[in-house]
Amino acid sequence: MRYDSAPALACWLLESVVPARYREAMLGDLIEEYNLRTKSASPLTASRWFWSQACRSIAFTVWSSLRSGNWLISMSIASGVYIVMAILKLTADLMISKLVAPQQATQVVLAPVVFLSAAAIGGCVAARARRGAMISLALMVMITVAVSIERKVCAIPVPWWYEFGFLILGPLAVLITPALIGLLMAGTAQPGK
Amino acid sequence: MKRGELLGSLEHIILLALARLDGGAHGMIVRREIEKRTGRNISIGAVYATLERLEAKGYVSSFTGEPTAERGGRAKRLFRVEAAGNRALQISEQTIRSMKAGPRNRWESI
Repeated sequence: MRYDSAPALACWLLESVVPARYREAMLGDLIEEYNLRTKSASPLTASRWFWSQACRSIAFTVWSSLRSGNWLISMSIASGVYIVMAILKLTADLMISKLVAPQQATQVVLAPVVFLSAAAIGGCVAARARRGAMISLALMVMITVAVSIERKVCAIPVPWWYEFGFLILGPLAVLITPALIGLLMAGTAQPGK
Repeated sequence: MKRGELLGSLEHIILLALARLDGGAHGMIVRREIEKRTGRNISIGAVYATLERLEAKGYVSSFTGEPTAERGGRAKRLFRVEAAGNRALQISEQTIRSMKAGPRNRWESI
């Protein structure tokens, strides 16, 4: 993975979503055009253009895959990972509440750690199987948290931002952890770059 | 191209743009050509997804170029229109022409 000065997160998002058949060619085109634009315009304008292209390309790809039926395979994988994640989280929650820290305050502190760890592990597993599965999993996590907030599942009184944090950070953990690991591994593989 | 089967609007525009760019072009050149001629700012993802679809139908073919440093070490993928693609363009043009022919239409009076 080499992005030069192009926005790395946008590149990674594209790499995660765009089919492998034309991923390299498309990213190469975008980076080449970005480098050309940085010569004639400010880096901010070039970055804005890059991000706009990335977001619209991702939206188009997701919509195309939904129409073609590829989403069924991705959803099946995501559902499997989601079940494993749920079991993992419930087991950890149970162990914390029964054995480690039965007090409510400690549970409030440890719950996000368990949740985000499960989301990160799930994201990595889903990304390894299929990139589309990772996006489906992030959506499933977001929907689950939204429903939990709406149904007031949490028995312990917590501030609004606490639950809101789960809603934002959960899907982000699913999406960003595989990218961070990927970037980290690329960094170790090419220490000179 | 089967009888009655028409190119989609994006397929049509991209095939026309590629036909204008003789000798093969990569996705970004096709995107620029469309923007220059129609003012439509199409995403590069839409261009590549459509080019892939056209290649699966046998209307275009592609070959890989050399990787360059300006592209972050990534190779270009160049597309060119095949005979079947030219035929598909002709059929689409004929269909549009025959649908427009005949009595004065509403859009002509505007």
